[in-house]
Amino acid sequence: MSATAAAAPFVRIEGLAKTYLMGDRRLDVLRGIDLEIAEGELVALTGPSGAGKSTFLHLLGTLDVPTRGRVLFDGEDVFERGEEGLASFRNQTIGFVFQSHHLLPEFTALENVMMPALVRRVPRGEARRLAAEMLGQVGLGERLEHRPGELSGGEQQRVALARALCLGPRLLLADEPTGNLDPQTADGIHALLADLNARLSITAVVVTHNERLAQALPRRLRIVEGRLV
Amino acid sequence: MGEPKTTAGPPDAPAPPHPGPLPREAGESGKPGPPPPASPPGSGPGAGHPAPPVFSVRAFLLVAIGTFGAVAVAPIAATLFGDRLALSGTVAAGLAALAAALFGAMLGAAAAAVARRLAFYEVAAAALLWALAVALVALLPGLRAGSAALQPLEAQGTLVVVLGLLGAGLLAATCVFSGSTLAYLAFGTGRLDLSVSYELFVARSHLRLSPRTVAAIFGIVVTGLVPGLLVALVWSLVRDARERRAYRRGELFRRARMPATLLMTLISIGGVAIGVWALTVVLSVMSGFEADLKRKILGHNAHGMVLTYGQDEFDGWRGVREKVLGVKGVAGATPFLYNEVMLSAGQNLTGAILKGIDVDTVGTVTDLPKNVEDGDLSWLRAPEKIPQGGRAGAEPGAGEAPRKARPLPGIVIGRELARALRVFVGDQVSVVSPFGDLGPAGPQPKSRPFHVAAIFYSGMYEYDSKFAYMDLAEGQKFFGAGETITGLELKVDDVDTARAVMGRVVFALGGWPFRAKDWGELNRSLFSALQMEKVVMAVILGFIVLVASFIIVATLIMLVLEKTREIAVLKSMGAGVPSVMKIFVAEGVIIGAVGTAFGLILGYGSCLLIDRVGIPLDPEVYYISNLPVLIEPAQFALVTLAALALSYLATIYPATKAARLRPVDGLRAE
Repeated sequence: MSATAAAAPFVRIEGLAKTYLMGDRRLDVLRGIDLEIAEGELVALTGPSGAGKSTFLHLLGTLDVPTRGRVLFDGEDVFERGEEGLASFRNQTIGFVFQSHHLLPEFTALENVMMPALVRRVPRGEARRLAAEMLGQVGLGERLEHRPGELSGGEQQRVALARALCLGPRLLLADEPTGNLDPQTADGIHALLADLNARLSITAVVVTHNERLAQALPRRLRIVEGRLV
Repeated sequence: MGEPKTTAGPPDAPAPPHPGPLPREAGESGKPGPPPPASPPGSGPGAGHPAPPVFSVRAFLLVAIGTFGAVAVAPIAATLFGDRLALSGTVAAGLAALAAALFGAMLGAAAAAVARRLAFYEVAAAALLWALAVALVALLPGLRAGSAALQPLEAQGTLVVVLGLLGAGLLAATCVFSGSTLAYLAFGTGRLDLSVSYELFVARSHLRLSPRTVAAIFGIVVTGLVPGLLVALVWSLVRDARERRAYRRGELFRRARMPATLLMTLISIGGVAIGVWALTVVLSVMSGFEADLKRKILGHNAHGMVLTYGQDEFDGWRGVREKVLGVKGVAGATPFLYNEVMLSAGQNLTGAILKGIDVDTVGTVTDLPKNVEDGDLSWLRAPEKIPQGGRAGAEPGAGEAPRKARPLPGIVIGRELARALRVFVGDQVSVVSPFGDLGPAGPQPKSRPFHVAAIFYSGMYEYDSKFAYMDLAEGQKFFGAGETITGLELKVDDVDTARAVMGRVVFALGGWPFRAKDWGELNRSLFSALQMEKVVMAVILGFIVLVASFIIVATLIMLVLEKTREIAVLKSMGAGVPSVMKIFVAEGVIIGAVGTAFGLILGYGSCLLIDRVGIPLDPEVYYISNLPVLIEPAQFALVTLAALALSYLATIYPATKAARLRPVDGLRAE
């Protein structure tokens, strides 16, 4: 997995900037960020609200297109791929965990976790097996058929984590995964995150307000007013 | 909306030392992520990243060829299938339409491949170009004089030509667009992806159509809305009462709430069902009328006739008849002599068509012997057998009555004619022919009394009030025709091939002086009017289905709005544009398919009911005692196809809207 790291860094961000135009007002959310992330790194991203953390994460996850700058994965500018290329790139390389878990309420935990595999056209049975295994890894092996509404906040976030990791992505992007949780549950999620990173050697960028968590992670970045400090 | 534009924004120094008060303002809102959630469209996509052009000239050319070509292919294919392969009219027309649709769809698919997106703007432009061309044709009548395909329409005026051409162009453009969308759905990811497994999985969860809800909506539609809604009302009342009781006892009562989108889904299904129902029933009834009319016309008239170009030149008919009977496809032939005369009885006088017939063979061609309701056809040959009605002698109208040396020849008249003349079997009727003997002052009308030998009833007012028959030999004598006849009436084995058989008959007779006409030619105005009426009815009732498809559009837009977040999440997992589109296309098509299935079941049931039970009509007006129905599978198939196509097309806009949602917007909407 880390074989390619020698040639080019896994992720290389060059002069990344994002500007929103609101009518005639300009809003410079990101103002040129340069960054390299190596394979297997576990990065904490902190900063005040509105500093551009989420925007940065979305750009890194190719959910949004930068105004300026490039994001290179293994030396390739992914935004050159076009919309469909980006979609399959997201499916194969990236796993998202959102602050408010964003599980699909009509589906069971298992079906939620299966979804990325189904999007990739993995056969139903195979997807089910993968999802069940991943739910087992996050400690929810017993709650496969529950809907998100029947799970606690911590469990929901663990399902979201399982969903993000189901296809074995190379890059996990977590946007305040514990923002809505009580400290104990949050610690549980963090421990899980660290454990998975160690075991599966997944590169992860975690946006967090939780200073304790940030301190625990090997690399810490801070964004203020659209710039890394 | 959301078409990626390459707006690099105003030239801007890289990361300038901006005072930037705005982010701080936003920062105070305490929300994670950047500024106010709603970002304006067009602010997103960045510079220099690949995006397909909004309008592709190459795709436009393909689409234009598709649209114009499909309109051109249809008549060419129709001639090919109809004349070369000798298929029957409806089959040939259906195959031709299919060929044209496929041609258009293929070019639409090619356009989608070239443009790498839905070729919507290109198709719209092609349709406009077609409309322009039609306008040109309308303004310059000389242009359309040469076209054989337009001749049938030409007879009905410029407006019909223009509307027909516009309609054809619209249909062709629709086929092209359908091809383009289907191709985009299948190839949009850059490789063939026909799978819809998870899309269906998601779509089903959106629709929430459990067998119970489907059964309920079916029940409501079947019972004609009112009783169904009453039942629903009572049920809701009972549930309300239970809820109140539970509340009084302090128990928890969870009321199942029907989500708005489910309600919309059910209403859409009901709309499609009602549209399809109405279409199938009305078209079947119209087909019933048409078939009934055809049966009566063909029963009373021959399927075709052999005539000569000149007058009084058709002699030696016995030999000709033998030859004609030898032609493949001819089932029967009988000679006739055609004259227009006046009939009078007492004070009553009316014009009529008097046909001299061969009593022995007429039954092999028409239903006349079967239609006789009073008297006997064979009495034409043996007039002495005609019972002499008491009024015959009393009628002072014809002065020749007392001379009874030889019995008066017989005549057969229709029920309405008999009523108009106030005569019965055995009564005397005078036939007045304008071409009479040569008198001192030129030709004089000739008059001769006949006895009514039989009265027939065909069910067609036109025939029952206008036709009279006499023996061929009597007629030849009366009209001084010698041995000549007007022509031969023919019956063919298969009514739909009458035209081809007539061609063979003329060929067998060696052409001139013989000519032949088939029943379609003989009754062209009537059947083309019926056809037109049916097309107009189909278009009008098609509007019900169209409106239902608009409900589908509204339902899907609501669903898209409700599922914004879900779409964003799916996109973050890597679902591409075609994939998200497929979800909503599947939903619309499921709605359309369920509605169509209901409509077909209801339509078929209603037709059977009308057929079995029978809805009485006033026979004085319609000449038919019950509402006729004819269940034509091809018609049902066409309605199904139209309903499904409309529901499919209805999904394209909402599906595009869903697929174009930017994931960031959906994720932020909290």
